[in-house]
Amino acid sequence: MMGDQFRKVEPYSPKSSPRGARSPVVSRQDSSGTLKTTILLGKNPSIVPSGPFYLMKEPPVESELTGATNLMAYYGLEHSYSKFSGKKLKEQLSSFLPTLPGVIDSPGQQDNSSLRSVIEKPPIGGKELLPLTNVQLDGFRLHPGPLPEQYRYTSTVPIKKHKNKHKKHKHKEGGLPSQETTITDTSSDTHEKKHKKQKRHDEDKERKKRKKEKKRKKQKHSPEHSGGLTPGQHSS
Amino acid sequence: MASSLENLETQLEMFIENVRQIHIIVSDFQPQSQSVLNQKLQSLVHGLQEVDKLKSQVQDVHVPLEVFDYIDQGRNPQLYTKDCIEKALAKNEQVKGKIDAYRKFKANMLLELSRTFPNELSKYRALRGDE
Repeated sequence: MMGDQFRKVEPYSPKSSPRGARSPVVSRQDSSGTLKTTILLGKNPSIVPSGPFYLMKEPPVESELTGATNLMAYYGLEHSYSKFSGKKLKEQLSSFLPTLPGVIDSPGQQDNSSLRSVIEKPPIGGKELLPLTNVQLDGFRLHPGPLPEQYRYTSTVPIKKHKNKHKKHKHKEGGLPSQETTITDTSSDTHEKKHKKQKRHDEDKERKKRKKEKKRKKQKHSPEHSGGLTPGQHSS
Repeated sequence: MASSLENLETQLEMFIENVRQIHIIVSDFQPQSQSVLNQKLQSLVHGLQEVDKLKSQVQDVHVPLEVFDYIDQGRNPQLYTKDCIEKALAKNEQVKGKIDAYRKFKANMLLELSRTFPNELSKYRALRGDE
């Protein structure tokens, strides 16, 4: 029983290792350079090292460009870095493509408009694009009337939003201010005014509180203070 | 390069605008707008031809596939650029830190070795030729 166990272990011994019958301890010719030695036989056998020892391995050639250099500056990307790291980018795709009509912020897989699907299933191409003939155009003869509900969509909200912003920008550059911008500006102004009013109100309150406290203190220290003892009371 | 990209962008914008107009015509179709629709459809084909012509000018533009994931999720593709820049910077700093640490280690090692094995190290340096 025991013998069987040992036999089972045997195949894993170094003798039958994939490296051959070599002991794993035996040093192999490594990449760090060869250790040249002269073995002298005779009455007094000795081993004399006759070449450079392994520390003399040639160091790797230092490349001019390493991670020690500021690669952002090296490739002239500092401007891009400051551009993207400084301001907080808007998450939506519509903020990147403000002129695009339709709802573009929803996932592309929902309406089968993902770019991935174009790569995975490329459209049929290579054919020459020719204008439609009259017969072909007949296929596009439509019935009068509105579209069914499910095909109608109104999505002018994101465009409006960005148009406003664009106008604001123009205004900054020196263009004539539009009505919309003036409206938004005034709204922001009123907001600020409200804030200021609130602040003033708060400050007034604090002032009043301070005055009251001062009065109390004065009353405490003064002899006329109702809470304090009069000399007559003291004596009694 | 920039001009070819701008050309393509303009063409695509025109194409999208054309499609948008077709959508408006079609959404409440009137019999008299059939000819306008036909015109628009022809200009759609023309737009595709124009985009196809510009294909050769943008052959050397490489777009990372990950950007498409951002776009497909309805996210701003500039966020991808931002993430890339931040990752590159972090990695750059990490590697710089490692290089600096190794440099210090080498200097300290040589110092200590010269203290403990002055003769051997002078030989070593002589062999190296960096004395």
